[in-house]
Amino acid sequence: MEKSKASAVALNAELRRTKARLLEEVPKLQRLAIKKVKGLSTEELAARNDLVLALPDRIQAIPDGSSAALNQTGGWGTSAPRTEIKFDSDGQFDNEYFQESETSSQFRQEYEMRKMKQDQGLSMISEGLGTLKNMAHDMNEELDRQVPLMDEIDTKVDKATSDLKNTNVRLKDTVNQLRSSRNFCIDIVLLIIILGIAAYLYKFMFHMATPSQQNSGHLHLHPIDTFLV
Amino acid sequence: MPISDPDKLISKADKLTKLSLTRWSADWRNATLLYEEAANLFRVAKKNEKAKEAFEKASKGQEMLSSPWDAAKHMESAAALAKELGYWNEVTDFYRRASELYMECGRPQPASDALAKGARALEDAMPEAAVQLYNDASAILEEDGKEQMAFDLYRAATSVYIKLEKYSDAASSLLQLGLAADKCNATNSQCKAYLGAIIIYLHAHDFKQAEKCYNDCSQVDAFLRSDQNRCASKLLSAYTEGDIEEIKRVVQSSTVSNLDHVVIKLARKLPTGDVSALKTDAGKEEEEPLDENDLT
Repeated sequence: MEKSKASAVALNAELRRTKARLLEEVPKLQRLAIKKVKGLSTEELAARNDLVLALPDRIQAIPDGSSAALNQTGGWGTSAPRTEIKFDSDGQFDNEYFQESETSSQFRQEYEMRKMKQDQGLSMISEGLGTLKNMAHDMNEELDRQVPLMDEIDTKVDKATSDLKNTNVRLKDTVNQLRSSRNFCIDIVLLIIILGIAAYLYKFMFHMATPSQQNSGHLHLHPIDTFLV
Repeated sequence: MPISDPDKLISKADKLTKLSLTRWSADWRNATLLYEEAANLFRVAKKNEKAKEAFEKASKGQEMLSSPWDAAKHMESAAALAKELGYWNEVTDFYRRASELYMECGRPQPASDALAKGARALEDAMPEAAVQLYNDASAILEEDGKEQMAFDLYRAATSVYIKLEKYSDAASSLLQLGLAADKCNATNSQCKAYLGAIIIYLHAHDFKQAEKCYNDCSQVDAFLRSDQNRCASKLLSAYTEGDIEEIKRVVQSSTVSNLDHVVIKLARKLPTGDVSALKTDAGKEEEEPLDENDLT
């Protein structure tokens, strides 16, 4: 039903456009018709003239849906009789009138229903928006509440880092005082060398003590066991 | 400490602290350590009574060592255990003591937190004491200038008042919330607080008070411009006209649904009492001046 109405409206609009174009062409045609052309008889000329005169009327007579609507809303339209607009026939006018009102009332009903549905949808949206607004306001206030707390945390953490830096510097000074870093490295290296020599001697001694052991893996384990016991 | 029996720890600590001929000054440091250990062991073993006592003694020890922070913390633990045991008086005392100790440290925020915890623990058992604690906690925060934190406390106090059906107190605590919100420019909370107060007055059949409240609140610029103001005026006009349907419709609106739970519950119960009586009252008031005019 909807498609037919929309298409009817489109078609009507198209019709009206074409009619307007044709009406524009009619004066030209009239001038041409009056001109005498070669090989044209006078009867044909008169006939053509008549045809051209009748053309505008016939063009206007094409129904494009605007005529009946005009009459329907006719209360406030100027009722000066316009000679261009002619109806197909006055008798049929009543039927057409009813037909239009049926379709238009259906159209109006649908329009009302759609408006109601839109209103419902819009009210749901507005409720959702109201909730969003409330939540946004509350979030705003919460964040405002958190700001001074964050500032406090900031100062406290700054204080803690500066304390830590202080302590680090003092520790470094103390350690350096005990033994300067170069000597410290030398100490470590010598210590490692001594430990390596000791381990080697250990291994060597136990290797001497248990020569029968073929498996070198066990050699490593046994000295450790005896050492623990 | 190899001794893991908390009772033994307690007795050892008691011996350390009791003054006698052989001991001229109590050794609080070790005693406090022993008390703390014993208390933790008791708590793990779920012996709440003993744990509570141990925490009390530990707190006292920390006080003697002049560290009020640790003392306050132990007091709070003791109070939590007292809550489990249901010794409500002790709960109040402990939380109050803890709050005092926090104030000694110069930290008002944990102080009010301690009072709030106490109030929450007491809400079901002793609501009057709970509301007292809430008010004290909010007072501490307001002194410190941190009204933002006080909002939650006011809301909780309001809900307790409503449970106790003390509607005027509930409305006044909401108005205090509005005041605190005003200082922090928290307009949304402020308007919600005012609307809530108006609804509470209406629920208590006190239409005059509600109108007065509405007039007072309209002085506040932020409220005047807000959604809640429109909602309140709609509600009051519905009341003056005695239109029950309109009241119900206003109550279902989203503005009211954004308020506090307890307030929403009250609003749904509106209209209470006789709305038409309010209408005739309003009508009678109008007639009297007319009579005077007639006489003159």
